Amino acid sequence: MTSTVMESRHLWKAYEAHLVAVKDVSFRIREGEIKLIFGPSGSGKSTFLRCLAMLTTPDKGDVFLRDVCLTKPGVDLNRARARIGFVFQHIWLFRHLTALDNVELALRRVLKLPKTEAKERALQALREVKVEEWAHHYPAQLSGGQQQRVGIARALARNPDIILLDEPTSALDPELTGEVIDTLRDLAKKGTTMLIVSHEMPFAREIADEMIFYDEGAIVETGPPEQFFTNPQSERAQKFMIRLIKKTKRE
Amino acid sequence: MLGGVSTTLAISLLSLLLGLAIGLPLAFIRAYQRSSSFLVEGFEKIFRGIPEIVLMLLFYWGIGLYFPFPFKSAFFTATFVLGLRSAANQSQIFRGAIRGIGEEQMVAARSLGFSKLRSVVHVMAPQVFIFATPGLGSEYALLVKDSAYAFVIGVLEIMYNTNVIRKATMDPVTPYLVAAFLYILLTFPIATWLDTWGSRKKKKLGL
Amino acid sequence: MSRKLSVAIVALLISLMLLLLAVYYGKFSMFGYIVKYLPLVLDGLILTIEVTLFGIFGGLALGTLLAIGDMYGGKAISTAIRLYVEFFRGSPIIIQLFIFLYVIPTLFHILIEPLTVGFAVFALNSAAYQKGYVKGAMEAVFEDQMTAGLSVGMSKPQIILYVILPQALRIVIPAWSNEFCSLTKSTAAVLVIGLRDLTAVGMTIVGQTWRILETYVFIAVLYFVWITAVTKIADVVYERKKIPGIEISV
Repeated sequence: MTSTVMESRHLWKAYEAHLVAVKDVSFRIREGEIKLIFGPSGSGKSTFLRCLAMLTTPDKGDVFLRDVCLTKPGVDLNRARARIGFVFQHIWLFRHLTALDNVELALRRVLKLPKTEAKERALQALREVKVEEWAHHYPAQLSGGQQQRVGIARALARNPDIILLDEPTSALDPELTGEVIDTLRDLAKKGTTMLIVSHEMPFAREIADEMIFYDEGAIVETGPPEQFFTNPQSERAQKFMIRLIKKTKRE
Repeated sequence: MLGGVSTTLAISLLSLLLGLAIGLPLAFIRAYQRSSSFLVEGFEKIFRGIPEIVLMLLFYWGIGLYFPFPFKSAFFTATFVLGLRSAANQSQIFRGAIRGIGEEQMVAARSLGFSKLRSVVHVMAPQVFIFATPGLGSEYALLVKDSAYAFVIGVLEIMYNTNVIRKATMDPVTPYLVAAFLYILLTFPIATWLDTWGSRKKKKLGL
Repeated sequence: MSRKLSVAIVALLISLMLLLLAVYYGKFSMFGYIVKYLPLVLDGLILTIEVTLFGIFGGLALGTLLAIGDMYGGKAISTAIRLYVEFFRGSPIIIQLFIFLYVIPTLFHILIEPLTVGFAVFALNSAAYQKGYVKGAMEAVFEDQMTAGLSVGMSKPQIILYVILPQALRIVIPAWSNEFCSLTKSTAAVLVIGLRDLTAVGMTIVGQTWRILETYVFIAVLYFVWITAVTKIADVVYERKKIPGIEISV
């Protein structure tokens, strides 16, 4: 029986009295699963993802990484986060470091690997995302797509239990999204556990085991991708899919 | 002590104005008149690259010997030196403001037929002035503090009087603390006021 | 670009050497009198340089600590830092020198040497200004780089040390070279507490030779060369150490 990698129980996060981003969300993702969260902007999807990684502290509820409860006081969050890979919408590479150093930094400082081993693993990670020829370039010298791939390498290098991706392609020019999506496809093939927030629908249909429609702070509907593309159960999901298909038809 | 305050204020404000009168045109020259800009650069380098005290000594004792007319007065010398130093600083400040406003305004004015000079006077200068207000605020504060250097050539401002009082009362503590307090009083409120006035005006004009 | 600057520095140094040589050989006979005072001038120059370097680097170290303290220390520390900064930025250096020379020793019944006063005041004063520059630079990079650092599992101190400070300290260089200029110029003030810096030496020479204008011009030139040379060096360093993508934040 595959074990649960991450779980949230009755999670709450609000920004002001009327801006509830996460409303009593209970959720679970198992080893090897690939789930995709989509929905209208501002619905709180990114906030939920950040809460899982404890980059934002939830107001109420619990988050579990395997069997460790992250919301308990006194937990070593840094250790926990070392086991979670996070990819940001705006990439946020360390500007003052080369691509190689970006990936290597956490390996040396967090996992405390010796220099040579860290460098080897970092190069390996860069190889997996196919940017190793730019290993000694600075982020500003790379295209958006290359930067994001380095971001993915940075998340991968520590061999995390799961990778969380917050709209990895949204900030990229359309021509550049392809290379990032190819990279994610490769990761999927290797059986990496992934939780992605995105609205790249064709991609979702192809690799996601389950899609989750998230609106106004809560999970409205879940199901296999086919369900959303042929027959969404909830009215809100229906409306959203119709608008989305209209938009893609127009493009 | 309080007598010194008026002198300090006089030095600060007069040198600020002198700096403005010279610095503003210099900034525009450097920005728009490429041919002469190296002269301005030289001026800036000299007056920002030599300590004020040394300049004061140089002018008061040195040049004062040959031109007693203005430079016999320590007050004049101090104001003159600080004014030129301030001009060099303000030239920088206004240059930054000119760059911040961008060339569109100048181009628009020229396209209407204004000469370089008139565009500057009617279009750029007012905007630059508002944009630069925070920088001017800190320049003013700097001048108030640097006015203390004038005591080295004998101007009867706060610093000089403080020492006099200390020698008279044999109290090494109070005069200096009071003086420090006075200076902070002179710099802080006006600088902050200029800052807030500046940002409000900026917002209103969409700068 | 950096070649141009290196050339400028070399030209400056060469012209200074030529000047000194000319003086030595009495070409500018009006300046020739200075020759026998050169050792004194050198001493004064060395003192000025010592105070300046101690002040600027001490100020950088302390200023960085203050910036970090202000960002993370909590309300009490922030207020204390604010008072500190207001005092050292709001009052003239001369007053600060006197306060450390007279007021503090009297209040605390200790003796402070004028030399120590000089070093201490300039470092503390510079720190007050540099804290502002460092904090501004840190805030410019802060938000997203901190989140990125957390996401790979680094702790906050690690992130500050390995991610934020390296970037902030590069952004700070232009403002820092400005601070260097201001600091050097204000070191002339130490003559009021009796230290024999370059300016004080100038006054001594004037007192003995009555060659007023020439002496002060000479001193002024020395300061000018020193400041300009260091500023150019700072520019070169900035060009070399600049990382594409990290620029000046005004």
